[in-house]
Parts: sequence; structure tokens; C-alpha cells
Amino acid sequence: MAYEKVLSARVGRKDSRSIETYVADGGYASVRRVVTGGMTPEQVLEEVKKANVRGRGGAGFSAGVKWSFLPKDTKGKPVYLLCNADESEPGTFKDRLLIENDPHQLLEGMILASYAIRCRNAYVYIRGEFYDGARILNAAVEEAYAKGFLGENILGSAFSLDITVHRGAGAYICGEETGLIESIEGKRGQPRIKPPFPAVSGAFAAPTIVNNVETLCCVKHVIDRGADWFLKLGRNEKNTGPKLYCVSGHVNRPGVYEAAMGLDFKEFLYGQSYAQGIRGGKKLKAVIPGGASAAILKADEIEGVPLDFDGVAARGSMLGSAAIIVMDEDTCIVSAITNILKFFSHESCGQCTPCREGTTWLFKVLHRIENGEGRPGDVELLSRVGGQMANGMTICVLADGAAAPLLSAVAKFKDEFVFHVEHKRCLAGTKALVTA
Amino acid sequence: MSHTRYRIEAAGEPRKFPAEALARIEKILKRYPTKQAALLPVLWLAQETWGWISKEASEEVARILELPPSHVDGVLTFYTMFNLRPVGRNLLQFCTSISCHLLGAEELVAHCRKKLGVGLEETTKDGKFTLVEVECIAGCDKAPSMMVNDAYYEPMDAGKLDALLERLGREG
Amino acid sequence: MSANPKPPTPPAPPAAPPPPAKDTFTVTFDGKAIEVPRNLNLIDAARLAGVDIPHFCYHPRLSVVGQCRMCLVEIEGIPKIQAACTVPLKDGLSVKTTTDKVKASRAATMEFLLINHPLDCPICDQAGECTLQDNSFGYGQQLSHFDESKRQYPTFDRTLIGPHVVADMTRCIQCTRCIRFTHEIAGTSELTFLDRGGRTLVWTHDGQPLANDWSGCAADVCPVGALTVREFRFRKRVWYLQKTKSICPGCPVGCNVSIESKDDVVYRFLPRLNPDVNDYWLCDHGRFLSESLNDRDVHKAAIRDGSRVQEVTVPVAVERIAREIRATADKTGPSAILVVGSAHLSNEENFLLRKLADRLGIENRDVVADESRVRRIKSQTAWIEGDEAAANFKGARDMGLAPGKGGYGLDAVLSGKASPEVVLVADAAFAALADDPEKVAALRRARFVAVAARNANALTRAADVVLPAASLAEKEGTFTNVQGRVQRFERAFLPKPPVRATWELLLQIAIALGWGDRAWTPADLLAQIAAEVPGYAGATEASTEGGRLLKKGDFAWTGHP
Repeated sequence: MAYEKVLSARVGRKDSRSIETYVADGGYASVRRVVTGGMTPEQVLEEVKKANVRGRGGAGFSAGVKWSFLPKDTKGKPVYLLCNADESEPGTFKDRLLIENDPHQLLEGMILASYAIRCRNAYVYIRGEFYDGARILNAAVEEAYAKGFLGENILGSAFSLDITVHRGAGAYICGEETGLIESIEGKRGQPRIKPPFPAVSGAFAAPTIVNNVETLCCVKHVIDRGADWFLKLGRNEKNTGPKLYCVSGHVNRPGVYEAAMGLDFKEFLYGQSYAQGIRGGKKLKAVIPGGASAAILKADEIEGVPLDFDGVAARGSMLGSAAIIVMDEDTCIVSAITNILKFFSHESCGQCTPCREGTTWLFKVLHRIENGEGRPGDVELLSRVGGQMANGMTICVLADGAAAPLLSAVAKFKDEFVFHVEHKRCLAGTKALVTA
Repeated sequence: MSHTRYRIEAAGEPRKFPAEALARIEKILKRYPTKQAALLPVLWLAQETWGWISKEASEEVARILELPPSHVDGVLTFYTMFNLRPVGRNLLQFCTSISCHLLGAEELVAHCRKKLGVGLEETTKDGKFTLVEVECIAGCDKAPSMMVNDAYYEPMDAGKLDALLERLGREG
Repeated sequence: MSANPKPPTPPAPPAAPPPPAKDTFTVTFDGKAIEVPRNLNLIDAARLAGVDIPHFCYHPRLSVVGQCRMCLVEIEGIPKIQAACTVPLKDGLSVKTTTDKVKASRAATMEFLLINHPLDCPICDQAGECTLQDNSFGYGQQLSHFDESKRQYPTFDRTLIGPHVVADMTRCIQCTRCIRFTHEIAGTSELTFLDRGGRTLVWTHDGQPLANDWSGCAADVCPVGALTVREFRFRKRVWYLQKTKSICPGCPVGCNVSIESKDDVVYRFLPRLNPDVNDYWLCDHGRFLSESLNDRDVHKAAIRDGSRVQEVTVPVAVERIAREIRATADKTGPSAILVVGSAHLSNEENFLLRKLADRLGIENRDVVADESRVRRIKSQTAWIEGDEAAANFKGARDMGLAPGKGGYGLDAVLSGKASPEVVLVADAAFAALADDPEKVAALRRARFVAVAARNANALTRAADVVLPAASLAEKEGTFTNVQGRVQRFERAFLPKPPVRATWELLLQIAIALGWGDRAWTPADLLAQIAAEVPGYAGATEASTEGGRLLKKGDFAWTGHP
């Protein structure tokens, strides 16, 4: 049975951004039903929790469970909903698709979520580079206000909500929820120590929920069609709902594809409906399944792996933001990993010692190796230093994200690293230089 | 090895927001519970107004939002999209993160540098182009991806780039 | 047969009151359980148990940031290592600091900190009091495995970041103590991080240097040599410095300081912790008075005879002073004599002067202090303010140095209303007016003027007899601060003979006038103060750790006339 699109159903439809077509397609019906008394906030929360909507920003933590961490009595403090549209994990571009093509889907999800958690002021933290996305969202927000879906007493109910689009300015670490919170407070986006967790004390010292774009879009569909429907979509009750998968790199058809959670990895890479195989008739060498922060998998490791949170984790990596990055047989793994560590050293916020110093050190060593200046002991050094940055050494997991691809690549492609050190060139055919 | 963001250049003249911008700032302030939270939106407004954010502009923003000037500096230098010195009419931003790297981003950058005769973070003498490398801009399926000012141009290649540079170079 | 009536049931004893809620928690460190106050940070609680948790960014008076990652420990029940400074205390917490995981994390953090840190120890002032050095010895490894180009900030090295602080930012370990200090304590927010990642730099806004009233404290809190005090740069290796517990002479807040000296030269002041007064802090005004303790113009006693000034021994000078006082007291009466104490002198010295005046029936007595900018310092709980330019104005007044019945003070003399024949000034630098030729001319109308002094001024140049007096570093005593707290200061080194502490000089004068005990020490004088001065009972309990807060309401007088 062909999969019926949910999240990306309206992508490509004429005037998909306009509120008129959105409403004509059934949009905001759930908002209308819910806020005028059809469901209580608690019922909305329970439905989302029951559906096990796992966070699609990267962590895979159940959104409903996160919402239930909010205190029952906020002691007069407002509750904030922050939509994380900072999409900066390399290889990820699904939120961009959702925002640019179906902004009202997100807004409806935010309105329903805000209703559930009793939020009065919600923000979309959108990365600065998404100029178009911000313009599109702002236009959609204005349309929503005009039609009475935002503002005071929405549709005559007691529920009021304001949504503000807030632009970031070029910092991957603002996609980390407490980095985002610091940023929206007008500071450097340096993640906070936890506890306290945002649900208890977040933005402006108030209870705060940070949810990814795709997650909030799922919320809309859970309320549209019910948790039972959501649960049935997906491999099992722990990996549920529709999922957007990004694929890029050496495939024939890079892009965003939607399937029920748990799509088979090989099907995704080779299937006609999806990436359609490795370009140029080449063979697969390696793939990173979940954005640059995930452990790398060898070609023979993707056999029988469902692309969901638990399936990929069982293989020693993570689904993360579902950003599948594909490398063919000509790829120099050393070069790829050097590039990834360049990214992390540029994006480290710099506040804590192991990440600030470790990402820079690793990049310097890798850069040397890649440029034919490797020295004996370098490969062992990479493993040792990479191995002392993660698992609690730092305030946030950027360091863990830098270590994972490095350690897995050195372990699985050790011969390539050794070759680079000993022979001052790539094992693979092509040589890709990292710019200083 | 990397380019630092320690110096916020001086414009050499005072920076006062025009009335229209001040009106927008008032509207912005209504949307946040603290003045400090309006810092990023107001900095964006400054960059819209003057193309870059000078020492004088940062001090004016600090004054309007009642923030210590050092705090504004800390924010300005943390976020890479804020220009701390004048940039060319066309800010060429080449993504060099992993997916674009796998599809030849560095070669594209090298081609552009040669074509324009500038290095990274430099501006052409005629003031038309500034060339920078950026990290992932979420254009990975259309790699190599790049932006010119606020617009995406993807996928890019050497031939398309030559044509683009020529067209932009001709524009006033 | 009937049973005996049951005895009446006695009333039930009242229910025992519930045990009072503990104000401590039971925390276990490496198997050893102790009770700790609830409001402590875990690092400070560990110290109570004798367990050292190394750290850089944690400071008891600054917000907790958990950034340096040096204090990582294992907490029972939590799989990942935790930054100890961020773990909230709770009852039953169990902390492990000696496991392999903890040792590895410390070694890792030290390695990361040292890869970019310059090997500046031979030229860095911080050596010997450097947390990075100490933790490296304790927890680091000997060999470096870093063989890449080091991150440097050449234009931010060896350069002033403020009038009193030199920056060598290449040494910085990005702990943010200095930033948090300017933000949370000074409230001036001069410092910030610039850029990010491995390029992160601490600096100021261009044109707004680190110039608050407590800028030296930013250098204090810096755990390495990234921020150091300009006035102290390269002057003395800290392990040579002798530390003496003293009180700042700059204002009546009475910040506790350490006089750091070697070979009878004072090199610097450092603040000494006193949560009730200055806490960890010391303002720049007070801090940089340290240099002035080395100033000395007056090395010997001298007697002026017309235009001739002749150096004499102290006993000769004392004898001359006593003779003049005795002669005038006998001939004209004690009303022709004025004694002037000083808010820069100790309680013991002012007390001695007043008692001598009492003995001789001299009612003309005074002590004045210059007004100054308000000096503020943050105690643990509140800001404390002082606004006279001398440390012991309150104490000097409390000792009774104000005009007695029918007596007059300095004002009357300066305005011409009064004309003493003899003036005895216990401290020639008692106020700025002592360097004002006009005011000194008024005092000089007296037939005989005697002063004790350390530095020359208009008054010493006009005086008939000058006695060489010791500096704060060369004597012991007590000051009373604005809070009414008696605080002891100790002697760092002896003055170079024939210089003597002022109390010794006054005692010699007293003995020459037939009163006093040669064997008296400042401790004896303090005991007399405790017995005789209203409100000062208990002053003898003042130790150098904490002073002794006098009870309110017991004073004969406080403040200005």
C-alpha cells in the first residue's frame, strides 16, 4: 500500500503557503474544535503523549513527556513555547522544506501545543540564514492573526496566543535547547547547565518548552487524526508517526522524503521512491545516518536497519535529525572527518574546556594528516583525545557530537587514517582539501 | 588558521536610527518581556539600515536597550552573520560543510577566489563582492549550496558561478 | 468477689515534640559521611570533609557556571560524571572523588587547558599562587602530547586592560570569573567574551577599560596570570612574601588585608576574607595605598631651633616635649595646651593620648578626618560604605578625643578664637589641613608645637620637635570601623631604629610626665580600653579573624560633633 504523505502532503500544491488554501485543505479545523471547548489542555497533552511523538530535532525525546515536566503550579510565571527552527545540523533541510512550503501547518501545531501547555507567548527561533523562511512565516503569522487564529480570545474562546518570529544570526549551538533559550534572551548562545531543565526554569526564568518544527507539525496531525492513528504509523509503539528523511551526498536523488517511521535503510538509499542509489554507478562506502553528530556506518552495516530512533541506535549510531549523508567508494574518509571537525570547531560556543580545546585540537591534527603532514602516533592521539571529550565531560553534547563521527571513523576506517599518515596521501582515488 | 572577530570597526560617524527604524524598534520591544531579548532583532535592524554594524551602531543599540556596551559586543562577535566591518554589495557565502564538501565545495571556492582575486573574508577593490565560507545552510540536497546576500543559489557550479558573478558585477 | 476497682488511668504524657528539622544535610565523600550546612556549594562542603575538589571557575561569591570542567566527580545514582559545583546538595548525597573516572576526567581537563597555555611561568607573576600550576601538579600529566600551533592573542598580551590591570590574554583559560566579577559584584560589566569556540577572548568594549573602583579584584579572582596587577608586576616572587594580617588604612570600612612584605618593604595588599566586612574584596583606593607604607621622610627625631634643625635622639626629643608641657601646665594651666589625635592612628594610640590629657587636665582635644568619596565594598550580605578618608575616625572619636568641659578643638584654633601655647599632634598627617600653610600658620601661633610623623609636610616643617613614627606595617593595634567593629592589625616588621610606633612615643612622653607603665603593650592598652571606654567591653575578644562587633547603643558618642 503506497504511503500517504502527511507532513509533506501540501508541498508543491498551488499557493500552499496561503491560509485560504490551508483552510480549504482542512487546516485549522483542529484549532477551531479544540480551543472552543472540544478538548481540554490536559486532553491535548495526553493525546500527544499517547502518540509518543518523539522529538525530531535530534534527541528523540517524547514531546508529550517533556510537556508533562511542566509544573502544575507555575507560581504566576508564564509558560513559553519556543519552536526550534534553527536547523543547522549538517545534512538537515527538512524544516526548511516545511517552513517554506507549509508554514500554517507549523503554526497550527504551535497553537495546539501552546493550548496544551497554557502558553500565552510563543516564539519561532528561526536561523538567520532562512531569510525567505522568516518572511514566509511572518506573512503566515499575519494571515493567522487576520483570520482570528492568533491574538486575543482566539475564535471567541478564552485562549489567547501571540507568536513572534525571532531570527538567529549564525550559530549552530543555538539549536541546542538551552543555547536557544540564552539566545532568545538576547545573549551569546551558550548552553546552560542542567538541572534546572527548561520545563522548570527556561526562558526568562519561566517554564519553557522547546520543540522542533517537524515535531510541532506532528502535533497538529495527532490532534487531527488521533493518537491511535499516529501510533499505527511507524515500526512499533516506540517509533511512531510520519517521518521526514533528508538524504544528501553521493546519491542520485538527494532530497527530503517522507515515510512512516522506520523506513528500511537500504530501501531509502536505493529505492526508486527515494534516493535511487549511489550516483555515477559507484558503490557505497560509508553513510552517516543522523547528521554530522552521528557515528559513521560502513556500507555493510546498514543491512536490516530501520531508520528510526531505536533501530539506528541498535546499530551504534543515531537517527538524530534524520540527515542521511552518503559517501561513495571514492570518498576519502579522512577528508570527510576533517571537514566535520572543522564544523564543530567553528561552532563550539567556547565556554567549556574539553569542547573548546578538544574540537580545535582534533581539527588541527586532522588537517595536518589530510594535508600529508601526519606524524606517528597521530591516529592513536585522535582516538585518545576524542575519547576524553564526551559522556559528561561537557555542559552540552556538541562535544559528544564531534567525538562520535571521529571515533567511529577511526575505528572503522583505521587503515585509511594510517595510510594518510604513512603515505601522505589519500587511500581513495580522489583527494579533497579542507580550506584552512 | 581561522578569522577572528575581535574588532568591531568604527564607522567614524555617529549612528542614529532613522525614525522609521525607531518605530519598528518600539514594535519589537512590545514582543519581549525584557529589553535585552530584543537585542538580536534590533541588531538585525541595524545591519539592515547600515549594511554592517559599527562600534557606533553597537553603542547606539546598547543605549536604546539599556545594555552594557560590552554585552552588545559579546553578542555581536558571537553570531557570525553580523558584519563587523563594511562588506561588498554582494556577500558571497559558500557552504563548505560535509554534504557540500562531498560535492566539491572547496573547488568552487578556489575557483571563485581565483576569479575575483580575493582571499577569504576579503572584498574586491571595486566593492562589489565579499567572499566568505559558511557552515551548513541547509541546502545539502542542492549541494554545493551558496547564498548571495539573502538569496540561495543552489546547486552551484563553476560555470553558473561565472555567469552569476558577471551578472551581479554588471548591476549598479 | 468483686475485683478491685481499676486505678484511674493516668493522663497520657504529652506527645513528644517532633524533632526540629535539620539545618544540615548528611553528605558522604568517598565513604566518609559528614553533616554540612544546607546552603553550601558541594565544593565547599567537600572542603569541610577535608576533601579537595580542584576547580577554576567556581568562586563562592560568583554565580555557578560549571564551565571549567575541572571539578567533575561521580555521584552515586547518576551514571555520568557531574560538575561538583553544579550538583545541588541534598540529604544522603554520596560523592566519589577518587575513582578512575574522576582521575581520568581531571587529567583530561588539565591536558586540554595546558595545550594552549603558554609556558610563561618563568615570567608570570601568578607563579606560586596559580591554580593552574597547583592543579597541574596535583592532577595533570608531566608530558605534553600537543604538537600543533598554539592559540595566541598577541595584541592582547602585556597590555593594560585598565589603569591597574595588565592583561596577558594568551594565558587565559576562559573561566569567566573576571567577567562575572565585573557583572555581579562591581556591577560595571566592563568585561565580556568576544568571538567563540577556540578563538574566545575576554576583553572590554573599545573605549571602556576595566576601570571600576575594584578593578584589582578582577586580577585577584583570575586563577592564572591572564589578569595581573600593574603596580606589582615583576616586583617580587610571591613565595618570598611574608603575609601579615592587617586592616586597610584607606577608609573606615576597614577591609581586612594581608600586608605582603619582604625585607621590611611592603610590596602589595591583598584582601583577606571577612564575610562581615569586605568579604573577598578590596577597593583599588585601599589596595594601592600599600606603596605609601614604604614612604618615609622622617628617620630621626629632630628639634628646631630658629632656622636650625638638629637631629637628636628620641629620648632627648621626648624630654623636651615633656618639659614644655609641664612648664605650660604649671605656669598658665592645662587650658593652654591642645592635643590632636588622628583617625589614622589606632585605638590604643588615641586612647593613650586622651588618657594623658585626662591626667594633665587638658580639655582641649580633637581629632578630625578629611571627607572623601564614598568608598563601598560588598560584604557577603550588603554593601558597606565609608566616607571619611581615614580608617579609624570612629575609634578615635570613641576614645574621647573631642573637646571636654570648657575645652576647644581645632576649629577654634584655626578660626583664631583660641590660642594654645603648646600643641601636641600625635600624627602630623592627621588631615589635609596639616599640609595647608595657612592652617599650619594658625597652629604655629602656639609657642611650642610637637608632632610625631612619618612624612614631611607643612606641619612637620613648622614644628619645634618632630618624632619619627612607624607606619601601619610597623606596629600592631586596633581600628574601629563604620559598623562599630573593633579589628586587630598585626605588625609586619619592626621599624628601623630610632623610628618607633606612635603608641611607644606617646607612652614615653607620658612616663616623662609622671604617668604610665613602661611595660605596657598594645594588648594592655586594649584591655584598658575594654574596661574604661563605654561600649568597648569585649574589645579584647577581637581577633585578626573577624574582629569584634561592639554592641549598639553603648557608645558615649559616635560620628561627628
